[in-house]
Amino acid sequence: MENILALAWLVPLLPFLGFVVIGLGRKYFSKNITGILGSGVVLVSFIFSLILFFDVRNGITGDGIVHYFNFIKVANISIPFEFQVDALSSLFLLIITGVGFLIHVYSVAYMHEEKKEHFGRYFAYLNLFIFFMLLLVMGANYVVMFMGWEGVGLCSYLLIGFWFKNNDFNYAARKAFIMNRIGDLAFLIAVFWIISIVGNANFSDVFEFARLKEFTATDITVITLLLFIGATGKSAQIPLYTWLPDAMAGPTPVSALIHAATMVTAGIYMIARSNILFSMAHHTQTVIMVIGTATALLAASIALRQNDIKKVLAYSTVSQLGYMFIALGTGAYVAAVFHVMTHAFFKALLFLGSGSVIHAMGGEQDIRKMGGLRKKMPVTYWTFLLGCIAIAGVPPLSGFFSKDAILLSAFEHNRIIYAAALFGALLTAFYMFRLCFITFNGKFRGTAEQEHHLHESPATMTIPLIILAALSVLGGWVGIPELIMNGGDHLSTFLSPVIALAKDGHGVSHSTEWMLMGLSTGLVLIMIYFAWNRYGRYKEEKETAVGKILANKWYVDEIYNKIIVNPVSKLGSWLEEGMEKTGIDAFVNNVGRGVNYLSRHFRYLQSGQVGSYILLMVLSILLFFAYQFFIK
Amino acid sequence: MNALLISAVMGVLMMFSSFMLKSKSAVRNVALAGMFLILVANILDTYGWHLFNIPTEGMMHFDRFSLFFNSIAFACTFIFFLLSARDMEKVGINYAEYFSLIFFILCGIVLVASFQSLLILFLGIEIISIPLYILTGSDKRNLKSNEASLKYFLLGSFSTGIMLMGITLLYGHAGSFDITVLIKAGEKPSSLAIAGLLMLLFAMAFKVSAAPFHFWTPDVYDGAPTVFTSFMATIVKAAAFIGFMRLFSTAFYSLHDQWQMVIAIITALTLLIGNITAVFQQSIKRMLAYSSISQAGFMMLALFALNGTATEGLFLYVAAYSLATIGVFAVLIKMKDYTFEGFNGFARHHPFLAAVNTVFLLSLAGIPLTAGFLAKFYMLKAAVEAGGFLWLVIFAVLMAAVSVYYYFRVIQAMYFKEGDAPVSMEVSRPFQWVLGVLAFLIILLGVFPNALLYWFYF
Amino acid sequence: MYNFLQIRLSAFLLDVNTVGSYIPVALQVLIVVGLIGFLLWATHMLGPKRKTSDKLEVFSSGIGSHGEARQPMAIKYFLVAILFVLFDVEVIFFYPYAVNIKGLGWHGFYAVLMFVGFFLCGFIYILKKGALKWED
Repeated sequence: MENILALAWLVPLLPFLGFVVIGLGRKYFSKNITGILGSGVVLVSFIFSLILFFDVRNGITGDGIVHYFNFIKVANISIPFEFQVDALSSLFLLIITGVGFLIHVYSVAYMHEEKKEHFGRYFAYLNLFIFFMLLLVMGANYVVMFMGWEGVGLCSYLLIGFWFKNNDFNYAARKAFIMNRIGDLAFLIAVFWIISIVGNANFSDVFEFARLKEFTATDITVITLLLFIGATGKSAQIPLYTWLPDAMAGPTPVSALIHAATMVTAGIYMIARSNILFSMAHHTQTVIMVIGTATALLAASIALRQNDIKKVLAYSTVSQLGYMFIALGTGAYVAAVFHVMTHAFFKALLFLGSGSVIHAMGGEQDIRKMGGLRKKMPVTYWTFLLGCIAIAGVPPLSGFFSKDAILLSAFEHNRIIYAAALFGALLTAFYMFRLCFITFNGKFRGTAEQEHHLHESPATMTIPLIILAALSVLGGWVGIPELIMNGGDHLSTFLSPVIALAKDGHGVSHSTEWMLMGLSTGLVLIMIYFAWNRYGRYKEEKETAVGKILANKWYVDEIYNKIIVNPVSKLGSWLEEGMEKTGIDAFVNNVGRGVNYLSRHFRYLQSGQVGSYILLMVLSILLFFAYQFFIK
Repeated sequence: MNALLISAVMGVLMMFSSFMLKSKSAVRNVALAGMFLILVANILDTYGWHLFNIPTEGMMHFDRFSLFFNSIAFACTFIFFLLSARDMEKVGINYAEYFSLIFFILCGIVLVASFQSLLILFLGIEIISIPLYILTGSDKRNLKSNEASLKYFLLGSFSTGIMLMGITLLYGHAGSFDITVLIKAGEKPSSLAIAGLLMLLFAMAFKVSAAPFHFWTPDVYDGAPTVFTSFMATIVKAAAFIGFMRLFSTAFYSLHDQWQMVIAIITALTLLIGNITAVFQQSIKRMLAYSSISQAGFMMLALFALNGTATEGLFLYVAAYSLATIGVFAVLIKMKDYTFEGFNGFARHHPFLAAVNTVFLLSLAGIPLTAGFLAKFYMLKAAVEAGGFLWLVIFAVLMAAVSVYYYFRVIQAMYFKEGDAPVSMEVSRPFQWVLGVLAFLIILLGVFPNALLYWFYF
Repeated sequence: MYNFLQIRLSAFLLDVNTVGSYIPVALQVLIVVGLIGFLLWATHMLGPKRKTSDKLEVFSSGIGSHGEARQPMAIKYFLVAILFVLFDVEVIFFYPYAVNIKGLGWHGFYAVLMFVGFFLCGFIYILKKGALKWED
């Protein structure tokens, strides 16, 4: 057991080494070497993760905590540098390194047109991202987690602004960073809060503390709310979700890895990890549920009228994250983690598919200018279609099971939330198939040159697509409900050491469960049919008032600009012009001037005459004596 | 004891090598080897390998405090030799004698660091001072050097007189030179003892160039050949501080409240005059002279506090200050023009030297991640722990802020001004290596101060 | 009464730790200074006085004086003079040793031998450096 856990440090270290080596050698390595190196380290990490995963599954790792060294030690607070490899983190390890590896391989072909050093820079960033993400997931306390948390934010920033010559991309990167920082601040305050009460930030200690009910109700509510705000930043929930659609400025594999499969699920991971705290804070759970529902619906509605292939997927991601938060809010942590996993598969698949399309179209992202790609790119088409079916929630693909688990939990909890979530699921099915049909069916609507250039992507791109498609189809079986298959629901069993089941047994009868499944499946199939009817043959969408609002994303960006950004920048310019120049600068300059003036005069003490020196010394000796013997 | 005898013998040996060895590089190598030998002998001494066993009759006491400081001082001198030994050739013809005098000064340093009798303190101070008068005037054809030497001698004699007077009064009080029995605990001190104490305080303040006894410092440091300024501004000053500390913590600790206010005033004055006057200087050499006064002000805080933190902090400060100042001077020696303008555009022509010089200056200014920051931090911490004199701590922090101005002026000149920064000598590769190691040491101590302080206890 | 005084006085004088023990020294100083002063005064008063210009001249081995005393001199004179003083002073250290030669025994002998050794080193040094070479 010791030996196995001792390998844990290798998992994050390898990508880090990859980052260092590729980063330093980016000007010297050929693209092939960079590609092999970059993907290779992640592959090896994946293999180690697999070993760890199976060991955890066989239950031979105990609590899985590996201590390395004391990271911070001040007064009574000690923050160790520890990893925790348990059910939850080992599952995430697999997702991160597995999906990460596929995306690395995919990137080799996708980024092939970049210059050598930019190609190297890309892989260095990507490896660094994997490192930080692993750190986030493996940390055994909130501080190590926070380091990873900040690190992935940094990598996200760097990769969104990867093509930094385009200023819009830089703005998008900046927006992502700032939005994330708002959440990070809340997270950080929460961590401080925890440390101030518990004395350290180790998960085991904090949860033990919580289990003994030593938190006051206020404390736990505030802490969980702050943690949740942190999660809204990283996982793109209302009100901090607007960065994610803009983040599509980065290369498509980045969108697939960071902004769909892994980083944005960090918030869900964090809440699932802290499930003991959240289960005790009912107000927070309500807030999470409401925000999750609102986000799911809002993003889904926006996705209905987007014409940029990646934007649609981005809003779909926001919406799916909303579902995960509904699950968290209703206490169905396993369902949330389950959905993270299936979502990682099919959303990565969809993004990579869209990347393949964009690659073939020579950088074109507007679906109105595509169409009819089915024949030219069969592999992309079929895998993309599978992804759409999976996300729509058609049985027996993976999305069905995970979404159904969430809907079931919502149904048990609150019927209104359930209705809203179901409605969102229908929207999802609709906009995903709209996207699919517009892109792949009908006639080609681009330029002749693009049509001439159309081709299926190379094998390094299609093989990851096929693997991910297979995972999207089959991935749901690990969490298949007890209802359908006896002895199913491996996931809950597997995660049970980490995530205590909130309720014993199900609150609804089997017949209700069957009925709900049937209802959602039936409605989804109707929606798909509806979408086929509407978009099977492409025609221009009519301008309607609602359509315009949706196309403009409910004007949220504009509202944010008006009520937050503009006042803040006004305040900033006032502080700069008014406060700084006439107030602080003047004060500082005058202090400097004063010191200079003094200096000019003090200089004259140093006359160069030995006699005057001795005189001054004798005088001061006399003064000191006078002070010591007469004044004191 | 090992180091004391070996360095005395080395001094004589260097005298002989002046006429026995023909080439200067041979002389230099002998000196380097001797210096290394002294360092090793001292470390052996620290861990119980005494090469000589001579009874000191209670005149000296080689304890951890003194041996540890000796190691720091010898290591700094060794680095100083590595960096600047070649530049001593430029001063005058008596190359070997310069080394000889430095070895004699090291003898004095050992005495000052390990005295137990006031007589040995006096002897040590004189053995340090007299060779320094000679080194200051060693550039015989330079009027400034001569003037500095004479001034140093006159003012030094004055302070020697005060010190002797103080020792006499203390002997009158206690009937002994032994610092452990000078003041009996719990006894109300006589005026004789207080007067003697104050006189010793003034004399030692003179040696560490604390205001208002600092007047010799700018003139002497400016006039002396730059290599020797480097030596006396660092290792010698550090030794004087250690002697100061030893005297006051052993002999006068029980009279703490009698002299604390006087030291506080001296500290504040030193910080004020050192920092404020340095602001307006045009010559970097002179600026460094004032900077050494202001750094002395910070080290005075250790004497003011006299607690465990102060002792540790003083060691750290001494090491940080000496290493950084030796480095800055080593770079300065290579320059043709000693004014701030002389450094214009230095970074463009010598990027490596500019970078390490920046590290040294940052350390002197007390910027975090360098040893200077932690050293200052320890000093302030010690002063806060001593309690009651918060104004002094705040004042010290303010003055440290002023010091940033003149240190950063050099950095600004090196990096942000246009010019060709004329260099008068070739800059060899080993020289750059040593400077690099020095800069690394400073950053190492800035991150892990215990890398040094550990050896104080183990 | 006399007896009492004698006891008090002798106790006073014998106690080395009081100012009183310096009384004999003070008495001696007084007598010496008084005697010298008295003799000078007495010869001055009693002796005859005949002043001539020859008598007021500077007397130097019978050779007539000429020029000023403040003339620049070769630095070698000073060097030799200082070296002489240096070695002269060092020789003085032999006197206390000579007095205690038996008491200090072999230990003292080695110490003095070492002293002489250092002494010799200095001598060899100045010799080799050419400090005593008169002509260049």
